[in-house]
Amino acid sequence: MRTRMPSTPGVVVRTAGAVMVSLLFLIPLLWVVASSFRPGNSAFGYTSPFTFEAFVPLGGDVSNYVALFDGYFVRAVGNSLLVAAATVVFGLVLSVFAAFALSALQFPGREAFFVVVVLSFLIPFDAIAIPMSAQFRDWGLANTYVGLILPGLANGFAIFVLRQFFLGIPRELLEAARVDGLAWWRILWQVYLPLCRPALVGAGLMLFLSQWQSYVWPLLIGSDTEHHLAPIALANLRGQLEVNFGQIFAGSVVLTLIPGLLLLTFQRHFTDSVAATGIKD
Amino acid sequence: MNAPRTVLARRSEPVAGPVAGSTHRGARRRANRSGQLLTALAFLAPALLAIVFLRLVPAASAVVASFQESGLGGGSGWAGLENYRFLFSDPSFVNTIVVTVVFNLVLNPLTVILALGVALLLSERLPAAGLWRALVFAPVAVPVSVSGVIWSVVYQPDGLANGLLGMVGLGEQPFLTSTTQAPPAVMVTVLWVAVGYWMIFLIAGLKDIPRVYYEAAQIDGASPLQQFRHVTIPLLRRPMAFVLVANTVGNFLIFAPIQILTNGGPEGSTNLIMFDIYQLAYRLGDLSLAQTEVVLLMLVMLAVVAVQFKLLAPKE
Repeated sequence: MRTRMPSTPGVVVRTAGAVMVSLLFLIPLLWVVASSFRPGNSAFGYTSPFTFEAFVPLGGDVSNYVALFDGYFVRAVGNSLLVAAATVVFGLVLSVFAAFALSALQFPGREAFFVVVVLSFLIPFDAIAIPMSAQFRDWGLANTYVGLILPGLANGFAIFVLRQFFLGIPRELLEAARVDGLAWWRILWQVYLPLCRPALVGAGLMLFLSQWQSYVWPLLIGSDTEHHLAPIALANLRGQLEVNFGQIFAGSVVLTLIPGLLLLTFQRHFTDSVAATGIKD
Repeated sequence: MNAPRTVLARRSEPVAGPVAGSTHRGARRRANRSGQLLTALAFLAPALLAIVFLRLVPAASAVVASFQESGLGGGSGWAGLENYRFLFSDPSFVNTIVVTVVFNLVLNPLTVILALGVALLLSERLPAAGLWRALVFAPVAVPVSVSGVIWSVVYQPDGLANGLLGMVGLGEQPFLTSTTQAPPAVMVTVLWVAVGYWMIFLIAGLKDIPRVYYEAAQIDGASPLQQFRHVTIPLLRRPMAFVLVANTVGNFLIFAPIQILTNGGPEGSTNLIMFDIYQLAYRLGDLSLAQTEVVLLMLVMLAVVAVQFKLLAPKE
């Protein structure tokens, strides 16, 4: 089934299937992109009644994108970028430290620590977001960037991926560095990290995406408009009394394009780290 | 980044010194193991702090709150199991449970089956296979809340869905305002993003199946269907179990599409538990009751993770 190049009719049928399936997934995106160039609510002129021009981004302008630059939405996108970038930096530090301790170091109870760390981070954060938001308010972290960033730092997936990668580094390298009298943090910095760029990129991408997508927590903790993140801002555009759908389309494109470009650039790293998680023996 | 590095260096170096000087192997190993404990704890400190303050403390506070008197004042009196008793006798919470369970029982297997189908189709050697894979994967870049926003416009009376239906001669559908159409309409917004994501995991799993198994099966005269049943499925057990469980955990927590598309309606037909918790806490201000639901949700999540470990445990 997989060994030989399949016979021609089979290839044709399967290729046709592949084309249809991928079009099915692509159609809503095509429509959103095309409609984002149609001012105001004029996009609906192409769906009611439907014409195929609905998928062709021609004859429009960029007024929706210009309108999004009025302050509120741009500020929210900036907030999202800031929060996601900080999450990547600090989240990687936390994850790398934990993964290093759980792979390179040997100490009593290492396996138990590993199970506790990964398991507790696998317990989904959204489930406890509501009790936690009450606590963050007590701690004075409501409507602060620190409050928005903190919960995204602890990512069991990132720790898991990095540890898997660290375990693959030959122990002789570590022993040699120890004999040379290198301190542990230098072993991490000079031996482990340079060998782990792909895993670092993969883990960083995961941290970025999880924070970029988060919705429940920013809704609970960033209630003033100055601290709104982009997904909240987009949902608020939808909730206005007079909805400008052109801007909603344009905003959706912006919110998709940023992680999309990252995924495109680092696709290999993403699929590699996906392949390294949980699904292999 | 500099600060923690120097702190760690100061902590780890005195520990490392005598260990490196030791020559006797057994003694050295023992000294290593306990000596490295302090270093390890220093490296683990940020993660352990995060576990305590971002997971354990809020979880514990939810458990405590669930045993306290509910009501608008957020009473602090001890209520025992009263909140739990109240919830399970409350028809609207029973409806929430039924809706959440049915939703997951339909959506989760459907996600795995669709992801597997697409993975099988696109992992074959096809012209431009990478392109088709990239197109199915493209919606993964769409944040789930944005998917909710996009589909809310698709489902508008004059939106894309009714436009396409009209083109093939079908009448206008109510979608989100119908109790029977709203749940599947919400599922579509989730599936659109999820199928491509889980497909990547399953393609990775498919690529790990050694070719020789298929060659052997072919020599034995196995049909493609038999190969699928006796080679692909058994060897894809771990990736499929992982995808099913990880997907289940995610889908029990669906919130944004509900808040954006339906607000739990119409008539509670899409009132999933996360949305119900949010409503209780922020619309009705009943934190104790909301946290009681949080505790129940956490118990379900723990059970799902426990099942995961059972499913993924190495075969004896």
